[in-house]
Amino acid sequence: MDETVAEYIRRTVLKIPRDEIKTMLQKWGFLSEAQLQTLNFHQIKDNISQEVVQLCEENSADIKQAAVLDIIYNHIYQNKRMWSVYQMKKTGEELEYFDITDFKKKFKGRLRSALKNVTITFKEYEDNAIWIRVAWGTPYKKPNQYKPSYVVYHSQTPYVFISASVLKSNLPLLCQALIVASNYHDIREMELRSHSLNSLKDIVFKRYSQNFQTYYPKPLQEGNVEPESGDIRIVQENRSEKERIHRLNWEVFGGGPQPKLEFAQYKLETMFKSDPKMGVLDKKEPFRCLVKFSSPHLLESLKSLAPAGMADAPLSPLLTCIPHKARNYFKIREKKGLFPESFVSP
Amino acid sequence: ENVDPQKTAFLLRKAWTLYSVTPLYRFHRARLRDYARLLSAFIAAEKQKGLAVEVGVELDIKVAVSSLADLRGSEQDQAAVLVQLSLRSRASSRNSEDKLVWLGWFCSMYGDDLSENVPEDFTCLPLFLTHGAESYTSMVGSWFQKTFDCCFRRLAISPLNLSWMVAMWAGCKLDRAASAVELVFSMPRLSQPLDISYAIHPEDAKALWDTVQKTPGEITQEEVDVFMDCLYAHFHRHFKIHLSAAKLVKVSTVVASAHCDGIVKILHSQYLPGVLMLLTELAISQIQ
Repeated sequence: MDETVAEYIRRTVLKIPRDEIKTMLQKWGFLSEAQLQTLNFHQIKDNISQEVVQLCEENSADIKQAAVLDIIYNHIYQNKRMWSVYQMKKTGEELEYFDITDFKKKFKGRLRSALKNVTITFKEYEDNAIWIRVAWGTPYKKPNQYKPSYVVYHSQTPYVFISASVLKSNLPLLCQALIVASNYHDIREMELRSHSLNSLKDIVFKRYSQNFQTYYPKPLQEGNVEPESGDIRIVQENRSEKERIHRLNWEVFGGGPQPKLEFAQYKLETMFKSDPKMGVLDKKEPFRCLVKFSSPHLLESLKSLAPAGMADAPLSPLLTCIPHKARNYFKIREKKGLFPESFVSP
Repeated sequence: ENVDPQKTAFLLRKAWTLYSVTPLYRFHRARLRDYARLLSAFIAAEKQKGLAVEVGVELDIKVAVSSLADLRGSEQDQAAVLVQLSLRSRASSRNSEDKLVWLGWFCSMYGDDLSENVPEDFTCLPLFLTHGAESYTSMVGSWFQKTFDCCFRRLAISPLNLSWMVAMWAGCKLDRAASAVELVFSMPRLSQPLDISYAIHPEDAKALWDTVQKTPGEITQEEVDVFMDCLYAHFHRHFKIHLSAAKLVKVSTVVASAHCDGIVKILHSQYLPGVLMLLTELAISQIQ
């Protein structure tokens, strides 16, 4: 077995939490059940990985099999990577029959004709997701197995999720191979990025609860709100404002859980406007800002702003449009003409 | 007031953790070498007790205490005192260089408010800045406390003071390449934490400040409030969020950056005295 393959397998196993190693090796299926029985999973990981490498040596593992183990690891720990979303475009409306073998052949063919040194690995999952791993080399160097790109393609959709390696120069080639293999004619990057691959899928496949403005359920009885001693009118006013906010929130965000995004970024190129009495800045040029929102669960935290009194309800459409516009990167310019207060997001 | 940029270059572009220090009793500038020796012995003893965390080869800590004559503001200010801790490995060869592991310096920049009112035996250096492991800070602090009967306290920077800093520094004259004026807010009391970074192009921030500030060389609370209100209003116009209800935790400009936990980075030697003066003031109000 090649030394580099042995080292690669050793390092991949080291990444796996000790309790998960056995399951992952079983999913991999390259080592027999009998071989797995000989492994002692109660020692330090260094030793476990050495033993795994020895078994792989017995079975003469090559880079192709090692790459499959890497895909399995990254499929389970997909949220460690940053994913970008790409959308492909077809000319016609015809629904072509998707042939996976044809797809793989064309994909490999396109890449290999441009770059001799690549490692290409496919793995299909139950939810119609095709995972592709590409390790990139140069005409003179063997592929770097430690910085591969991962692609997730759902064949029934025009969407591709890419976690590129640091070597961004290979991205155009990767995109080209994808459209050639899938019989599309164009591909563009959407302004949508996140660590949560599932949430990205939720957003583009519209699998999250959306704002159906048809029926708002009757507000819950506020049983735990003590009536204030004194002016009854004050309590009622608060209550109706709270209800208004809840209703507006529900209309915008829907009743179900939100897709999990970690950030949204806005490049603002709008004018600075102020009360003329204040005598401050009155420039004809935009007030350039970059605003970034970050949170472990951005949409949930935005949803809680108005009820907490930190924001007006309804919340700004710049924020609420994130899921249905399927983007979390925006460039906002002033809209000229009739409505100076509204914004244009190209 | 002219601080030699060569001598103070080491202060720039480092994250300093801030403390306020009460006046030192019977601190003698002539005895700096003695203090270095005593502090070194103290640290060695602490390590023997197992109080410091060191794994592996037995390491020697070398202590140097020196005076920074130029680092002061008024005539009444005491010159800054610098403490340096270096690591010297016994196992290494004789000509290996000592590795600097910790820096701390005491400073007073126009701290007349404090120094005017203390008795003779006391030395006023209300601002203490450290860079390096917390374990060393703790040992150095303990020794100074025991030896000079003083008291160290972490210097937190309130949102009010952070907004002063950002307004002041946003108005500073710009170099060719200046970084953005950034304010970082944290939204409290939400189901999921939310951080907001609001970065403004430095030219635009300065243009705004220039129209707000009425008297050059003087800054009033009102002007700072107007500046911040303008920024909040611009933000609200777009996002309908009240930034004024959020907690300002960090500000960053080409001059310096400051975090509410009392961590500061100074980026320009030209503004070093100004920044230190502001920090000295904060330290003094915390002491009094």
